[in-house]
Amino acid sequence: MRFKFNLITLSLLAISGAITGSAMAADFGVNRANTSTVKQEVFQCKHCPQVEGYTGTIGINAAYIESDDIHSGNAFGTDSDGGNASMDADLNYRNEAGYKAKFQAHRLGLDNGFAHLEAGKSGQYELVADYQQLTSYQSGDARSQLWYNDGVLTPSEHTQTQELSLQRNKAGLGLSYGRDFYQAYVRYDHENKTGYQSSSIVTPRPVNFGLPVDANTDNLTAGLSLSGDSWTTDLNYFVSQYKNDIGALSLPYLYDVFAPTPDNEAHQLSLSGQYQLNRTVMSGRLASGKMIQDDDLIQMSGNPLQNWDGEVETLDGKLSVTSLVSNKFRLGGSVDYSKRDNKGSVWEFAQYEVNGITGAFKQNVPLDTERRGLKVNASYRFNSDYRLQAGYDRKEMERSHGDREQTNDDVLWAKLNVRALDDIKLKFKASLDNRGGSEYQTSELTSSEANPLLRKYYLADRARTAFEAKFNHTPTSWLSLDMTARYAKDDYDETQLGLTESEDYGYDINLGLQLDEHLSGYAFAGQQWIESNQTGSQSFSAPDWSADIEDEFINLGAGFTYTGLMEDKLSLGGDYLFANSTSDTLITYDVTTPQGDYYSFNHSLKLHANYALSEEMALKLAYQYERYYDTDYAQIDVDTVPGLTTLGDLNHNYNAHQVMLSFSYQLR
Amino acid sequence: MMNKCIITKLLCGIFAFACLSLSVQAAPWNQLTGEQLEQQLAEKFAQGKYSKKGADSCLMCHKKNDKVMAIFDGVHGNSSQADSPMAGLQCEACHGPLGKHNKGGKEPMIAFGKESKLPAQSQNSVCLGCHNDPKQMAWHSSSHNLDEVACSDCHNIHTDKDPVMDQLTVNDTCTSCHTQQKSDMNKRSSHPMKWDRMTCIDCHNPHGSMSESALNHTTVNDTCYSCHTEKRGPVLWEHAPVTENCANCHNPHGSVNEAMLTHRAPQLCQQCHMDDGHASRVVQQGGSDAFGGGKSCLNCHSQIHGSNHPAGSKLQR
Repeated sequence: MRFKFNLITLSLLAISGAITGSAMAADFGVNRANTSTVKQEVFQCKHCPQVEGYTGTIGINAAYIESDDIHSGNAFGTDSDGGNASMDADLNYRNEAGYKAKFQAHRLGLDNGFAHLEAGKSGQYELVADYQQLTSYQSGDARSQLWYNDGVLTPSEHTQTQELSLQRNKAGLGLSYGRDFYQAYVRYDHENKTGYQSSSIVTPRPVNFGLPVDANTDNLTAGLSLSGDSWTTDLNYFVSQYKNDIGALSLPYLYDVFAPTPDNEAHQLSLSGQYQLNRTVMSGRLASGKMIQDDDLIQMSGNPLQNWDGEVETLDGKLSVTSLVSNKFRLGGSVDYSKRDNKGSVWEFAQYEVNGITGAFKQNVPLDTERRGLKVNASYRFNSDYRLQAGYDRKEMERSHGDREQTNDDVLWAKLNVRALDDIKLKFKASLDNRGGSEYQTSELTSSEANPLLRKYYLADRARTAFEAKFNHTPTSWLSLDMTARYAKDDYDETQLGLTESEDYGYDINLGLQLDEHLSGYAFAGQQWIESNQTGSQSFSAPDWSADIEDEFINLGAGFTYTGLMEDKLSLGGDYLFANSTSDTLITYDVTTPQGDYYSFNHSLKLHANYALSEEMALKLAYQYERYYDTDYAQIDVDTVPGLTTLGDLNHNYNAHQVMLSFSYQLR
Repeated sequence: MMNKCIITKLLCGIFAFACLSLSVQAAPWNQLTGEQLEQQLAEKFAQGKYSKKGADSCLMCHKKNDKVMAIFDGVHGNSSQADSPMAGLQCEACHGPLGKHNKGGKEPMIAFGKESKLPAQSQNSVCLGCHNDPKQMAWHSSSHNLDEVACSDCHNIHTDKDPVMDQLTVNDTCTSCHTQQKSDMNKRSSHPMKWDRMTCIDCHNPHGSMSESALNHTTVNDTCYSCHTEKRGPVLWEHAPVTENCANCHNPHGSVNEAMLTHRAPQLCQQCHMDDGHASRVVQQGGSDAFGGGKSCLNCHSQIHGSNHPAGSKLQR
């Protein structure tokens, strides 16, 4: 209450300060320039160098990797052990007529690489083309007896090794054309995603297996933008189509046991705009969309449909206003609305599990949500040393068939920027967030058997308090020091069962050094702790067990760059990073039992030397070392637990090395 | 001999530093407060006393400064581009009218960057004079604008390549302030940000947007669907928290848990599922049974994002 009072007092002070009048903020936009006496025709630029033609660098890389775990491919860009080659480029072209082009390529030829091209005439048209290959590696030795072939998971006699990795190949093409007040644009993107990912199937025993992925996504966006002196507007249409080439999965003795991700498509039409009236700016957007899914359903007895008419209509709107009342005082606010209306029809489908209401049949429950938001904020600059911002945000969420039909979040926040001390900037941020809502009740449709004491964490009453302090010190031009400390606490005060509280706190320190013209360096360190508590009830009554989850993260890093050696021909650099993620869970049920190890750590070291062979040519030798270890107590051997088949122990423990030699040629 | 040499270098260094400090302090407008400087520049801007020869007037003194000359390597220094400042009022398009700045250097010019005392909103008015286009439509209400972030805090135009416009360096710029997110990308699971295969601007618009957290797409879920189109659905059997907000279970910036989950299974699932059945069961030893071992709850409920199987109401098939 006291806090609220102070905020109100400060706001009133701020408003009164503003009204007593201070000059309007300056606008130095070239369109506001007083050019009455300018004789631009006699402007000269004899000393201006004219850069024309091609500039930039082009390079080739040859690398050698030594690793016994494909997971290192995440850091190296490819999982292939041994030699590899790739290409880099960073080229620019421009000419007198105003044509320009830009081409960038990075590690082109590896499993993770990209190329980007922009070409056109400034202020008229531009063509953009993109290509990217993106691969993520989970494990090279998942063990499975199930092999996918043409919709059937065929059990093999012996367990075989399988790779779990996903690869995306993306290509895009965009074109824009415009003149003074309009611009029309269109962009098309295609993505193919392939690989295998960890999943599980009920046979009825649970069996983990490598789920094949082979899907294509096509996106098209087109629009028209118009601008005037004080307004801009944009009309945009977006359509996206997802096609899954993997159908329903069957076992030889169990037909269509696993439904594929269905094909879907989405459309959205949006109109947005901005209008500026002196120092008041209004902006808004209205977007109407549809998500459609009518893929064929698996045919089985008790399924009345060939395909479901899944369709979600969305409507999103926002209107915001911000006004620079004076050069010291700003007021702003916004309202927003978002609706998800699931129009899919409701049918009864036979289930393998019997529930208490309809027996073996169950109705699907299309979910609707509606969100309304309100934000108001004010900021006041007392002088060049102190600036205060404060605001109030409210979010109301309504949902159909939920355990709680309505929730609302009210947030009060304030930020204070202090520059009163020489070379020191301080920022403080605090917020109080309170979530409440309608009566919490177990919904018959969604959770007929839930314990009435349970409060789902995303619906439950919650009080969140958060603070953040930032300190930036630049004592000299060659040294900068940043320190941040954070604390946040979530208190689910009405929850007896479920997540009851969570505390998240930490700090980080970043140091930047420019010791001389040639030597620069950095170092950083950070830690974060997240401590949560939840309760459960085995006896379907009051809490009789609890879990304490203690997460800790440590991050350290340092690096340097040394240029100017050997008559400016040689430069050296190095980067080191250490990250350690830990999550310890303690379960208390009569006695407290710690769960096993669940942590990962990574040392990453990169060293490089650049040597200029001539003004145009350079060689770079780089070495990268990756030490990675992770462990998870849930990772167990294929048949450790009777009745459960896993993919085996997928933990990682490796040392991996990469040496790369690069040759680059600079165009001038 | 060696020591003498070092001492000489040190003295030279101190002298050079002192000269540099003096030269910086020598600028008369360094004594002004930000507001006084802003007012003086506003008056000068209104008077509109531009130079007679444009860029050549400026380069008379500044041509030996590499940083100044680097403007010609980029688009802002390209006079052959009709909409470039160099094709218009040249240096003075951004730095304001010359006035008497070249007569003893007593008058300030509009300056940018960390050393500039000019308030961010006045610095930004220069950039917005030209870049007031639909891409910057939400700038004025954006948190960066409200926090008085100057365009030049992120952008550098006196260069052939603005680091923030390069996929390989943009994350460094963002994380120089957003240090929590810099740490998050090194956690056990995260998007491939630390290798610059994804960038902050793939999801967020630093110039603001009409969506929460300055997201590029309309909602949190729409942002996730832009890459994870398979999650878009809708599907026959929906999982309510998934439909409502992906961030109910995932932290997209990174987590100490696998799959960027805020908590791991079974604990995460048991924060919402406490039925009169196996969901309430205490899992005391993670790897000892099918409730805690392997994929835990997902051993059976693998279609956790929703199922399109007619008999998939339990998200099992």
